[in-house]
Amino acid sequence: MKALDKLEKHLKERLSELSKEKEKGHKIIGYAAGGYLPEELVLACGAIPLCFIQAGNNSILRRSGAYICRWFDPFWRSQIGFITSGKDPYYNIVDLIVVPITDNHVRAFSNTVGYYTPGKELFVFGVPHVKDKLALDYYLQGINRLKKTLENFTGVEMTDSRLQESIGLCNRERELFREISIMRKSGNHMVNSKDFVALNHGSFLADKEFMIDILESYIQEVQDSSMLPKDGPRILLTGSTLARGDSKVLDIIEDCGGIIVMEEFAEGIRPYWGRVRVEGDLMSNLAESYFMDRICPGWFRPGTERLDFLVNLVKEYHIKGLVWYQLIYRESYKVESYFFPDMLRKETGMNMLTLESEYDAMETGPMKTRIETYIETMRR
Amino acid sequence: MSNYYDGLLKLCGFEDAEIENERPRIESSFEKLGIVPADMERANSWVRQNHDVSLEGVRKLLGAWLQELIDLVLSKEEGKKIVYFGFPAILGPGLMLSASSEDVFVSAPDMVLDHTMGQIFNKLTPILESGEANGLPPGHALCSLWQAKIGGIASGMIPVPDLALASSYFCDMGSKADDLVAAQYEIPVAYIDGVMDSKWGEFPEYLPERVHYLGGQINQALEKAEKVLGIKIAPDAWERSQKESRGFVDNLLKLLELMKSDPVPISVVELELLEALSGSSTGRGIREGTKAMSILVEELEERVKAGTGITEKRAPRVMMAAGHCSDPRVTHLIEEAGLAVPLTMVLSWIGGPKIEPKGDYDTPGEKMANYELAAANFHGTDASIKLFEWGSKVMKLDGVIAHYLYNCRPAATTSHAQKKYLEEKTGLPVLALEIDNFDSRSYSADSMRTKVETFAELVKARKRTGYKSLT
Ligand code: SF4
Repeated sequence: MKALDKLEKHLKERLSELSKEKEKGHKIIGYAAGGYLPEELVLACGAIPLCFIQAGNNSILRRSGAYICRWFDPFWRSQIGFITSGKDPYYNIVDLIVVPITDNHVRAFSNTVGYYTPGKELFVFGVPHVKDKLALDYYLQGINRLKKTLENFTGVEMTDSRLQESIGLCNRERELFREISIMRKSGNHMVNSKDFVALNHGSFLADKEFMIDILESYIQEVQDSSMLPKDGPRILLTGSTLARGDSKVLDIIEDCGGIIVMEEFAEGIRPYWGRVRVEGDLMSNLAESYFMDRICPGWFRPGTERLDFLVNLVKEYHIKGLVWYQLIYRESYKVESYFFPDMLRKETGMNMLTLESEYDAMETGPMKTRIETYIETMRR
Repeated sequence: MSNYYDGLLKLCGFEDAEIENERPRIESSFEKLGIVPADMERANSWVRQNHDVSLEGVRKLLGAWLQELIDLVLSKEEGKKIVYFGFPAILGPGLMLSASSEDVFVSAPDMVLDHTMGQIFNKLTPILESGEANGLPPGHALCSLWQAKIGGIASGMIPVPDLALASSYFCDMGSKADDLVAAQYEIPVAYIDGVMDSKWGEFPEYLPERVHYLGGQINQALEKAEKVLGIKIAPDAWERSQKESRGFVDNLLKLLELMKSDPVPISVVELELLEALSGSSTGRGIREGTKAMSILVEELEERVKAGTGITEKRAPRVMMAAGHCSDPRVTHLIEEAGLAVPLTMVLSWIGGPKIEPKGDYDTPGEKMANYELAAANFHGTDASIKLFEWGSKVMKLDGVIAHYLYNCRPAATTSHAQKKYLEEKTGLPVLALEIDNFDSRSYSADSMRTKVETFAELVKARKRTGYKSLT
């Protein structure tokens, strides 16, 4: 795939490009994963958004042990490891880190870095866990405060026209991701899940306009390709986090002959199903789309919206198997993994496979055995 | 006519007439709980081994927990509408519901099970195992308090509630476990949502938005509760519940003064009994508990006058956030190592500098939210650590046992920062101690003994060599 090669090259050069942008006076705004920071706000004030989504390396995870106990989600402990060790160059290059606080794992990250790395400038705002008018207002207040902070930080006023332009850009990106994702419904096009995930991860770091070109080229390449769909059970992969660098499950499923045709993750996969309206009050539109319209992650209560969404995906994407990939100690997902299988079975007759990870290489063997067995039972 | 349990109940402060009056209820609830004659010997010696039953106030406190247990177990068959809330909780909504109808029973059932089936009968393990088998398996650092709640419901010991009041402002685990109960038993949940989104160092400041949001959520939950329970919240419910808790707070202030004495007059094991009761019961338990507390305060005044206490005079003084909820041996370990514990988290709230709530709010929900944010309870991580810093000054401490609950994310957030912060700010030695405050199977007293004893030696040596405690 030429588009993916281009993206890879772009990402290799990205850090030096960002340094140049910094020299030109552009601010770089890093933000915590979870999909609750509207990148539109960063772009509208001429700054560059970067999302921290690297993880999967156990040695970085271990470094976090000097700052927090092990009973937190390994993705967020990895973020603590990266920021305190200075080993992720993206953490080093940003001028401001924005943390939309979703659950207690993200709060632990925010508090730990707030205390141990006081030199890093942080802006935090909260994401409620229920969907109602009060919650929407609270989220809107949070992003309004963020808007002001960014304006002060960059010295650029976010006019409506600037915001409209950035919304247009981000809408286009979401639309393209949607298009690629929907191609997988029919099975006529060969969209590889690893490619889709790589595009997603790339989009958190790449230049926005460049990324849109890449997505357009990718779609073109897929449409032009004569590749036939592979023969294998269609799989939905879901969980809290699919980090850049955490490809173990994707690799094993593929090795075992499964075809992942849908990934549903709160962190690591960009929420791409929504579209932000460009008419009317733009900040309210952003809040509506990012908070209210988005399918909620597992730490919302009740989490039924997401569980219903998964059931629908199973039906719409002709899924034969659902792999629930949770990171250890992320309790919202662990608890849901107890009662969701019943719901799934009732609605679709399907059993799901639950896997758990702490980014440990030792997990690979047992995980492979379980995935092989699961895929084997689907083939029968 | 006496029965097999009379002796234990008397040990727990029940009067003969009370037992006689309550006999059918006691028997019915014990049957549901699987409490049998063979349990009595163990319970008797367990209570005597762990509690200072020479104090009438302590005996009555144990009795108050038992009364709460009996009311809880029988609530459904006695026709009550049942509301369970998570722990810790903003108590206001529960108190208001309780004050609005005699037909509503509002409680934190897991805490009740811990303090009775754990601290009195030493029979908590099967309940925890039932929780593990019904959705909260071991090995995932899931909350053991919730394991007790789910286990209690699954084993039929405690009834399925009519409404769950979810503490969605503090903990993800609790609210998600409420979802689990809702999925299993099809019960409604009123989520009181909030976000602990303060930045490190922000306390005592907080944004008015937080008050509006959390307060609005409380108001909404109360409206939902009215609908689900078919009651009307009395217009003066908030004022009445405030007035009722006044007695408890006044006694707590007296206790704080008494705990400044050397030697400290009472073990933190007993303090835990009353602190936890105030956060778990909105009914008979807390009413009887407050009376017990008054007796206890008088008894402790006597001890202080006589210069007696539970440790040697001049024993080094340390703080710990709270005693163990189900197994007092874990708490006793600290005192057995020769350390006095005059300060807990609840006493720090009472004794630390008062942060005045900011702004005026009209609705009950906002008033509660404003109070709680100023009081630090549900503000954020640095807020609770700062309380300890302030509290350590009030109590002239020689050290801090900064324990954190490994399976409670809001508490575990402080695992490392708390030690570093308090050491730097107070100059005191701090022991970061990982525990499970509700389940001692993996985190037993013995598993912590070496750490605690070594720390105690360090603190004693510092004190002996003339280091000045914080003033
Ligand atoms: S995890 Fe902590 S805050 Fe949550 S219910 Fe358990 S003890 Fe309470």
